[in-house]
Amino acid sequence: MLSRAAWSFVLRTGGLGARGTHSPGDAARSEGRMPPYTNCYAQRSYPMPDEPFCTELTAEQRALKEKEKGSWTQLSPAEKVALYRLQYRESFAEMNRRSNEWKTVMGSVFFFFGFTALLIWWQRVYVFPEKPITLTDEWKARQLQRVLDMKGNPVQGLAARWDYEKKQWKK
Amino acid sequence: MAYPFQLGFQDASSPIMEELLHFHDHTLMIVFLISSLVLYIISLMLTTKLTHTSTMDAQEVETIWTILPAIILIMIALPSLRILYMMDEINNPSLTVKTMGHQWYWSYEYTDYEDLSFDSYMIPTSDLNPGDLRLLEVDNRVVLPMELPIRMLISSEDVLHSWAVPSLGLKTDAIPGRLNQATLISTRPGLFYGQCSEICGSNHSFMPIVLEMVPLKHFESWSLSMI
Repeated sequence: MLSRAAWSFVLRTGGLGARGTHSPGDAARSEGRMPPYTNCYAQRSYPMPDEPFCTELTAEQRALKEKEKGSWTQLSPAEKVALYRLQYRESFAEMNRRSNEWKTVMGSVFFFFGFTALLIWWQRVYVFPEKPITLTDEWKARQLQRVLDMKGNPVQGLAARWDYEKKQWKK
Repeated sequence: MAYPFQLGFQDASSPIMEELLHFHDHTLMIVFLISSLVLYIISLMLTTKLTHTSTMDAQEVETIWTILPAIILIMIALPSLRILYMMDEINNPSLTVKTMGHQWYWSYEYTDYEDLSFDSYMIPTSDLNPGDLRLLEVDNRVVLPMELPIRMLISSEDVLHSWAVPSLGLKTDAIPGRLNQATLISTRPGLFYGQCSEICGSNHSFMPIVLEMVPLKHFESWSLSMI
C-alpha cells in the first residue's frame, strides 16, 4: 500500500499504470480506465464500455437523461429499461444467448468424415497393391509359433504371455 | 523382435537396455504428469464464464513456474548422463567384430584370429521360408557368443548407414571414413533383429541386421565352419 503510493509519486502516471508513463494522455479518455478492445459494444469480458450505445438523443430521451440525474426511485421500471437501452446495445441475457452454430459445424465435420471415407475406400480398391503372403493367417500362425519357439521378448512381451507347460496363452 | 500390438520397447537383452527402459519409464512418467496437468488447466480455462482482464504482474507464480521446470529438467538430465557415461565404461571385450555398411547390405569381418568375412543380404519376400519375418531375415546371420562383451567397430563403404539392434539398446551410425565403436553384450541366447537406421538410398528399408547369440562352443564351431 505504502510502497505503491510512493511508487506512484515517483512515476507520475496519474493512475494510468505502465502505459501512462509514456503516453502523453488522451483527451477523450478519462483517468483510471483501461483502453477498450472493442470500441463500441459491451461484451461479457468487457461489460462497461466507455461510450454509451446511443449518443444522438431525441428530445424525449434527453429529458429522460435529465430525470436520471435526480433520485432514481422516481424512475418507473419502463424508464429504467429505456435508460438501460440507451446505454447498452444488448442485455446480458441477449449477449450470452445460445446459437445453432454447433449444428452447422458438426454437420460439416461429419460430412467431411464421410467424404474422406469414400476417398479411402476408392484408394483401397483402385490404388493399393496386393497384400504380401506374410499376412495370410497360415503364415502368421507359423510366424507366431517360430517367435514363441525362440522365446522372443520373454520378460514382458510376447513369449512372456505364453504358458509353455500348458501350451496356451496365460490367463 | 517386434510383435503385433506392441506398445513399448522390445524386452531388454543387455544391461544397458535395461537401464534405458527404466530411464524411459521415469521420464515418461514426468511427461505424463506435466501433460495431464496442462490438459486439466486448459479444460478449466475453457469451461468457465468468469473473465479477468486486469492482471498486471504475478511475481510469485512466475517464480514457481520457472524454478520448478528447472528442477524437473535436472531430475531428467542426471539419470540420462549417468547412462551415457555407463555406455562408455571400460569393459574388456573378448572379441572384436567389424561391420561395414554398403548400399544395400551389411558386411561383417571377424579378424581377431583368422580372416572371416561375409556379406549379409536381406532375404526377399518371395524367397522366405514359411514363418519367417518379412523384411527382417538375412541370408548370413551375425553369429556371436552370448554373455560376453564384444567390441563392434562400425563404418561404411559408401554413404551414411546406422547399425541398430533395439533389444540390445544399440544404434551407431556407420560413417564413411570413420570408425565408431559400440559394446555389445547379450544376456540371453536367441535371434535379435534390427534395421538400418540412417537413410541411405532406395533400399534403406531392406538391409536388416540379425544377430544370432549362441553359447561360446557353438560360436567356435560356427566360425571354424565359416573359414
